[in-house]
Amino acid sequence: MTETETETDTAQEPDTSPAETETETGPAEDSLVTQGDVAADYLEALLDIADLDGDIVIDVENDRASVAIVEAEPGELSTLVGDDGEVLNALQDLTRLAVARETGNRSRLMLDIAGFREAQRERLRQIGSDAVNEAKETQQAVRLAAMNSFERKVIHDVAADAGLSSESEGSEPNRYVVISISE
Amino acid sequence: MLADALEHLVRGIVDNPDDVAVKNREHRRGVTLKVRVNPSDMGRVIGRAGRTATALRTVVSALAGRDNVRVDFVDTASR
Repeated sequence: MTETETETDTAQEPDTSPAETETETGPAEDSLVTQGDVAADYLEALLDIADLDGDIVIDVENDRASVAIVEAEPGELSTLVGDDGEVLNALQDLTRLAVARETGNRSRLMLDIAGFREAQRERLRQIGSDAVNEAKETQQAVRLAAMNSFERKVIHDVAADAGLSSESEGSEPNRYVVISISE
Repeated sequence: MLADALEHLVRGIVDNPDDVAVKNREHRRGVTLKVRVNPSDMGRVIGRAGRTATALRTVVSALAGRDNVRVDFVDTASR
């Protein structure tokens, strides 16, 4: 229920989403940079208030603004990540709202803190490629555990790269990916 | 620090940042932060299915560490 909008995004960009054609919905590069700047200001001020050290890195990736807070000392920002990235996800929600308030447009900005998402992505890629191998070996569809939209997107990408097809099935919060051999 | 952090987070997401005020009340078992916002911003701060209020509470609790924090939202029209 909480991820419905993000899930729509996922459904619209299964693997190689041609963003060039999205003149109306696809944000221009400079507006993504603006999103990153607004987000960085919002987060920087929070770090100051909380007396935490971190370098903020702004980038544009796959048609989204991405903002990463990099730790100065290992573990310094672990409170802002939380168990399973719970605090990170909350901060990402708030940052998207702050960007939307400032720019007037909804934002799909991705926030990472202390490399958490990158590590999570790596772990998911491994799960995805294990499932791809299993599907190829058994010539049968492989059903994965329930995941959120971000996690499913990583799996879809791995399956597409391996030339297999994948679908999300079930409803939130129990949506899961099925990887299959056939088209 | 907690009240300042919460005030900053809320001010960034509302239409009337100047109407945001956070009061800090400490008691034996922890802290209660009372957030006042313009009535027209109440929906923003609560969010769909309470999602934004939950996000604010999650971040503030994380910053508080082991201390117990309660966050209440009220609009400036109420006393």
